[in-house]
Amino acid sequence: MEFLSDTVVLSRMQFALTAIFHMLWPVLSTGMAIYLVVIEGLWLKTRQRDYYLHARFWAKLYVLNFGIGVASGLPMEFQFGTNWAPFSEAVGDFFGSILGFEGAMAFMLEAGFLGIMLFGWDRVPPLMHWLATIMVAFGANLSTFWILTANSWLQTPAGGEFVAGKFIVSNYFQAILNPFMLNSFLHMFFATLETSLFVIGGISAWYILNRRHPEFFVRSLKVVLVIALIVAPLQIFIGHLSAEQVYHYQPSKLAAMEAQWETIPAGSSPAWSLVALPNNQEGRNQWEVKVPGMLSYLLELKPTLSEPVKGLKEWQPQDRPHMVGLIYYSFRIMSGIGVFLAGLMGFSLWRWLRGQLKAEAISNQKLMLWGWLFAAPLGYVAVECGWIVRCVGRQPWTVYGELRTADMATPLPAPEVLTSLLGFAGMYSLLFVGALYFGSRIIRKGPNLDLPLPLTISQDNLEPMQHQPDQRPVEAQQ
Amino acid sequence: MEALEHFLPQVWFVILGLFLFLYVTLDGFDLGVGILSLTASDEESRSILMTSLGNIWDANETWLVLVGGTLFGAFPLAYATVLHALYIPVSVMVGGLILRAIAFEFRENSVRSKRLWNLAFGAGSFLAALGQGFAVGTVFEGIAVDAAGHFVGGIWDWLSWKSILVALTLIQGYVLIGSTYLVMKTTGALQQTHYKTAKLAAVTTFLGAIFITVSTPIFYEPIRDRMFDLLYLFAAIPLLGSVLVALLLRSLGQEQERMPFVWTVLIFLLSFVGLGLIIFPYIIPPQVTIYQAAASPSALVFMIIFIGFLIPIMLFYNIYNYVVFRGKITQAHEGD
Repeated sequence: MEFLSDTVVLSRMQFALTAIFHMLWPVLSTGMAIYLVVIEGLWLKTRQRDYYLHARFWAKLYVLNFGIGVASGLPMEFQFGTNWAPFSEAVGDFFGSILGFEGAMAFMLEAGFLGIMLFGWDRVPPLMHWLATIMVAFGANLSTFWILTANSWLQTPAGGEFVAGKFIVSNYFQAILNPFMLNSFLHMFFATLETSLFVIGGISAWYILNRRHPEFFVRSLKVVLVIALIVAPLQIFIGHLSAEQVYHYQPSKLAAMEAQWETIPAGSSPAWSLVALPNNQEGRNQWEVKVPGMLSYLLELKPTLSEPVKGLKEWQPQDRPHMVGLIYYSFRIMSGIGVFLAGLMGFSLWRWLRGQLKAEAISNQKLMLWGWLFAAPLGYVAVECGWIVRCVGRQPWTVYGELRTADMATPLPAPEVLTSLLGFAGMYSLLFVGALYFGSRIIRKGPNLDLPLPLTISQDNLEPMQHQPDQRPVEAQQ
Repeated sequence: MEALEHFLPQVWFVILGLFLFLYVTLDGFDLGVGILSLTASDEESRSILMTSLGNIWDANETWLVLVGGTLFGAFPLAYATVLHALYIPVSVMVGGLILRAIAFEFRENSVRSKRLWNLAFGAGSFLAALGQGFAVGTVFEGIAVDAAGHFVGGIWDWLSWKSILVALTLIQGYVLIGSTYLVMKTTGALQQTHYKTAKLAAVTTFLGAIFITVSTPIFYEPIRDRMFDLLYLFAAIPLLGSVLVALLLRSLGQEQERMPFVWTVLIFLLSFVGLGLIIFPYIIPPQVTIYQAAASPSALVFMIIFIGFLIPIMLFYNIYNYVVFRGKITQAHEGD
């Protein structure tokens, strides 16, 4: 247990724990917000009460998730200073500004309108409420933009240079528009959306399987399916573009993702490793299963490589990532899930075209519904694996090629870091168990189908068909 | 150019002060209400207490995130050194804020475990206030740094009788502003209770403030020099403060509904200006000035473009949020 007295290792563990745990929640806060905008927009357009009830029902899960996201995100804002003080000082000019922008543009917007979105149904007119929902979604996704900008800059630093260990920015827009930024942002944006869609779809499938309000939840399943139709294939394509960028800009990460120890020359058509047991000590794979000729197709969509794929042995051991197995399998799990979700989407589309998604027929589609239920947590797994590939693969660097992680930790006494690490671990366990417990309670309770429409909907706003002269609540007539 | 190098850090010192003031005032009453909930007699009144914060606690807490982000961007050295020195108080504060946040979400959905989340709400608010009090006290008292401005003290440096005093006073202050907020937002017996807690907290906060004001020039030479440089100002602030406290007590005695909160905010503002004037131009007292800790001028200009111009917009929609939910809380559970 030597690492228990190593502050760098403990600070890294604390960062990994807080980042991995925190990441679970913003996924829904950003992705589901878009769904809420769509569903509320559908309500405003069609005035069908079911859409309103959908907006209210999913918002309950949304707020539970949001609160835990806020709670678990707080340590992230401060631990760059507490645990990574030399890093904060070295890159504050750029990295710190970006975190400041995230707070001012994204978090504040999200938080400022969340209250109205949740509790303001009876207090503001429907269009104003929809605007609040849009602002929450916009703020949440802006935070994806800024945090991916900051992280991409760690991967491919641009827009200035390091002078005596401190980053001096010469061009801010170049630093923001660093090589990884656009693809990484899009990849994460679609990841949160796709995960949220399959969570909503999975929960809807669970209700249909249990024959609880099937006609109500077919609606959400269909809305989700329509959006996923675009998102799932597009995400695979953007993922491919991201891998291509890693190939060019971070060859040591690509070598770890592929557990490739020896360099493969340009012009060859190498096999792609499907399963392997990498051994970092000996610098080889103890065994592996390969698909012949496939690597160049995956990397370049061509039969031969136009550039060499560098092997891990090109770098000194201290200059390359060490957790090769973790990176290798995380990458495979992430990609596998992406392909599976796209497949499930295609299968469901086929069923839809065959007319099997009608409310009266859908309960017979057991395989498809179980598939959706199974898919509900997969997006989270893929997101976490992706971040592991991205950030563990970047090691031993904090800023790729410039600043070493080992030099960036605050020289704190190990026992205090261990105490805070255990404290966060304990508290996050409580959060996780609580979220699952109360989340499943909300789901088991189900939607409140008797919820009255907002008070702000006056009689004159109603469609002529719904106009009730006796002023009874509209839903009583249906 | 030299003028610019002085001017930009000053602008950011003021912006940082504004964010911190907004945080301390707004989340201050949230935390105060949280601490007061520990003494609430029944479930119904606790529900009303939490409902009064439901729509705003998250936005109020976000000012703290903004303080963190702007400190990191505008004064990276201060962000690194201060947080290093405050490892334990900041961890306690973050832990407390986490407990407070989940209490809101879990309590809402719980049936049998309501008591546990009530406790988490109160204890979390208390811990957050405690951590903040120690942080303020430590920065005010001074942080040991080397020539490069890096922290060279021990991990328990923040603990002293002085920082304990500041922490206790800040907690009293939060209870005071929380009470006056509840006076504004509630009716009946609940309102009466908080007239009483407000009076009590006004007296204890005032005593703490007097003690801090008197002891500071006696024990801290650099601060004493600074206070004697600006003697009129530092004579005026305690006098004005005493007048405000008298006005506050009078408005509480007359059972006014809004003015107690207004006077309390003004007391917070005055204390804030006083502390800011004592600390300026240092950001890591007693050695590192804002000019030494500031990011490069281009970074500061860039941040003014992206953050500075958003300040009025942020204030606008935050105020709108308060306007939408104005008025008394008569029932627990807004909406559904």
